[in-house]
Amino acid sequence: MTPGGGGPLVLLVDDEEHILSALRRSLRREGYQIVTAGSGAEALRILEERPVAAVVSDHKMPGMDGLALLARVARRWPAAARLMLTGWPGDLSRGELEGVGVAALLEKPWDDAELKSALRRALGDAV
Amino acid sequence: MGASPGSDRIISQPVTASVRILVAGAAAAERDRLGTRAALARLGPAARIEVEADPLRAAERCRIGPVDLVVAEHSRSASAHRLLEILGGAGPPVVVVCPGGDAEALEAFRLGAADCVVPGRASPLAEVALEQLGRWRRRRERASLQELQRDLLQKEKMASIGQLAAGVAHEINNPIGFVHANLAQMAEYVSDLRRVWLSVEALQKATASGDGEAARRAAGELATASDEVDVAFVLADLAKAIRESMEGSERVRHIVQDLKEFSRRDSGEAADADVNACLESTLQIVWPMMKHLVTLEKRYAELPPVRCYPMLLKQVLLNLLVNAHQAIEERVGDGNGTGRIRLETRREGAQVVIAVCDDGVGIRPEHRERIFDPFFTTKRVGAGTGLGLSISYQIIERHGGTLTARSEPEAGTTFEVRLPLAPAG
Repeated sequence: MTPGGGGPLVLLVDDEEHILSALRRSLRREGYQIVTAGSGAEALRILEERPVAAVVSDHKMPGMDGLALLARVARRWPAAARLMLTGWPGDLSRGELEGVGVAALLEKPWDDAELKSALRRALGDAV
Repeated sequence: MGASPGSDRIISQPVTASVRILVAGAAAAERDRLGTRAALARLGPAARIEVEADPLRAAERCRIGPVDLVVAEHSRSASAHRLLEILGGAGPPVVVVCPGGDAEALEAFRLGAADCVVPGRASPLAEVALEQLGRWRRRRERASLQELQRDLLQKEKMASIGQLAAGVAHEINNPIGFVHANLAQMAEYVSDLRRVWLSVEALQKATASGDGEAARRAAGELATASDEVDVAFVLADLAKAIRESMEGSERVRHIVQDLKEFSRRDSGEAADADVNACLESTLQIVWPMMKHLVTLEKRYAELPPVRCYPMLLKQVLLNLLVNAHQAIEERVGDGNGTGRIRLETRREGAQVVIAVCDDGVGIRPEHRERIFDPFFTTKRVGAGTGLGLSISYQIIERHGGTLTARSEPEAGTTFEVRLPLAPAG
């Protein structure tokens, strides 16, 4: 955990508000600062303004999907770790995921321990 | 009543397919005094004749086995009237032989006899029997055809639902995802609160013992525990997690209920239905599948209730919506584009019009003539049965309405359902 109450800033993106709220709960004790966005566009606005260390994004969202979002993140903020959390991981090809440099592909419903360790690993690599 | 003379002549068309005739009453029990069995024997060897004198047992045999015709001879000891009462109009036709004349026959007709024959009046029992066997066969054929159509209707309905499966799975997966995560977190909250509660108990015990030092120590531990656990936050968030989880499980319940309602086998009852509500409830089922690809525009007019079979109407609407979605899917391909579906209802004179317009791939001119043909499909294997539109057409026709299509290749398609406000018949 990073001291000073700050902790790395983690951005959670999902069009489902209750998923965001449950993810926040899952990560409560991890010492991160958490910020959430309901769409890809909103996520990009936050990335413009704040030093995001990791993005955990849903894939199937109206408008910009998760893959398109993470591709933009990879180009503009390559230092931010990128994680995909989706109900249908099989819909994404290995090539697509490697193309945007996804650190972890997680499946919904997620396992708390798996989510936490994937995020820790990704931030360890990124920081 | 069969009244033509010539009971002795060989009948022109003997029974060809194998049938079972049950002879009940006096003719079964006694010597064939009135010639009932002899007359039936003229139907040829394909007509298997069985006998059962007791009316109760005769009725039982009609219920169990496939009996095609019952010929009951009325007498005081073996009442054909009693047999008719027991059968109550169900099962195969019953021809009653009435030695007592017209009064007996009238009573038999009243109790549901298919026909009556009065012996001694040159009544051609064999011909009456033959006619009844023919009617019975036609009735059964019609019934089995109807059953076949019902099966087909159900199969097509289940296939449409199959098209929705991925969307439905998606719609269920999200709530399950957060309910699942919330439960794990709620278990953690409970163990946090338990830790605080144990400190409260320890403090109570220390206070009761009168040991001031122990009480101070316990109070200190309680303060630390409450602090670390952040009781106020945990209580507030626990309530929020429960509320959100309940909402999630309610959503799943709702989806499953919609599907269950839709996959019911029967066509439901005729009712005075709100067409806009039918459209909305069908939309509930398909929307999860479409929402990422489709923007929806609704123009519902206020409509009077329409006498229809709402379950069948919903099946048609589901079919049109699934088609509209697939047409958009086909036009958009793998790209990131989207499409539009416009749903419109309006009243035109004595008709209610429901229009489903999409901006999908459209129907090619050479296909337009064939879209309502059974098994005609341009969809890839597994994406449709080729029956959707032909069944929809039949359903709307059965309502005394029409189903028509207008289409421009690459510009989209409009399907229009027209239902009469006061259906014929």
